[in-house]
Amino acid sequence: MVSKTEEDQLIRLENQVENGGGGAWEYLCLVRKLKLRRSDKVFKYGSAILSDHKKRSALGPEEWTLYEQVAIAAMDCQRLDVAKEYIKVLQGKFHDSKRVGRLEAMLLEAKGLWAEAEKAYSSLLEESQFDQVIHKRRVAMAKAQGNLSGAIEWLNKYLEIFMADHDAWRELAEIYVSLQMYKQAAFCYEELLLSHPTIPLYHLSYADVLYTLGGVENLHAAKKYYAATIDLTGGKNTRALFGICLCASAIAQLTRGRNKDDKENSELHSLSAAALEKAYKQESPTKVSVLSSALRSLKVSS
Amino acid sequence: MGFSHAVGVVGVLMLAHAAYATIQYRSLLKITEEQFMGPPITVVVELVAGLFFCLWAALTVPGKFLLILPQSDENRVVALPFNLDFMIFNHRGKAFSLGIDMKIK
Repeated sequence: MVSKTEEDQLIRLENQVENGGGGAWEYLCLVRKLKLRRSDKVFKYGSAILSDHKKRSALGPEEWTLYEQVAIAAMDCQRLDVAKEYIKVLQGKFHDSKRVGRLEAMLLEAKGLWAEAEKAYSSLLEESQFDQVIHKRRVAMAKAQGNLSGAIEWLNKYLEIFMADHDAWRELAEIYVSLQMYKQAAFCYEELLLSHPTIPLYHLSYADVLYTLGGVENLHAAKKYYAATIDLTGGKNTRALFGICLCASAIAQLTRGRNKDDKENSELHSLSAAALEKAYKQESPTKVSVLSSALRSLKVSS
Repeated sequence: MGFSHAVGVVGVLMLAHAAYATIQYRSLLKITEEQFMGPPITVVVELVAGLFFCLWAALTVPGKFLLILPQSDENRVVALPFNLDFMIFNHRGKAFSLGIDMKIK
């Protein structure tokens, strides 16, 4: 989870490094800690450090982690020659290392040689059956080849063993959503919510999936989860506020004709509409008229 | 910084002195065989003053306190970490060349 202070720090370091100030090593460490994908910058500044013999020796034992990080960034930027050089250096230092073997297999993947990469991963798995990262790389390979159902199969097998890996659940949920299998995606998001109930973004994604599924039950549940997101973010999440308005109007449309003593529904709707207008007045006052006309049309159709 | 430390130390010393004075007062009462009602007013005043000094030092010495609300402007979650384990290299970035010429020595 990247918090606002960490993001500010990251942006500050990025500007500093780009404008020629020092601090490239801190930037690389921060990117590694926050697990972000800034491959072009990591590659540029990392290889600058690694080409300079003085800076390289100043790092001490950390230089091997830097080699690994820049090798992966090079593969992402499609500079496979540079990645190969770095991996050779690592191989020279650490013979018979599984981590370096994994990097080599990733290089084969980046080159597009799927069969060889598959063979390399299977041989690595024979030695250590329960290496999580290699299982996940297999899933990523299936995804890269466009074989999404194969990726789902592998990922399901992985999750049967390692049920606590919330990154894998998130990945599975996103694959299901891309294939429009919303019921299964809802199940994955439920697992995520069980393990991390305090992250508002998971509540938001779950509510989105429920709203997409439709039906009165799901709409009521979606409204509850949008409300939970608003609770967790202190009312600042605009998407959740919009979600509540849409859910309320959709519910009212579906239950039109039945007994309409659902005052809580309309109260929530008007409250979130008021909050939205206030937020828009603060952030972008030019769009307030567009917003109020949209909200009015929602209310009219309800 | 040094001032807050000094205030804290003074507060602790005042509390210790108040405790010592109360013990002495009690032993004095034992000699005159009276009941121990409570410490004298001066000791109580010294106690309260020592309390305030210690409180003030405890709040100022650590410096800036961090916010605890998860939705405050500093702590709010801006983005989820990228799933680096599932990263694929088969993306459209292949069409862009970075133009960086890197050689390692």
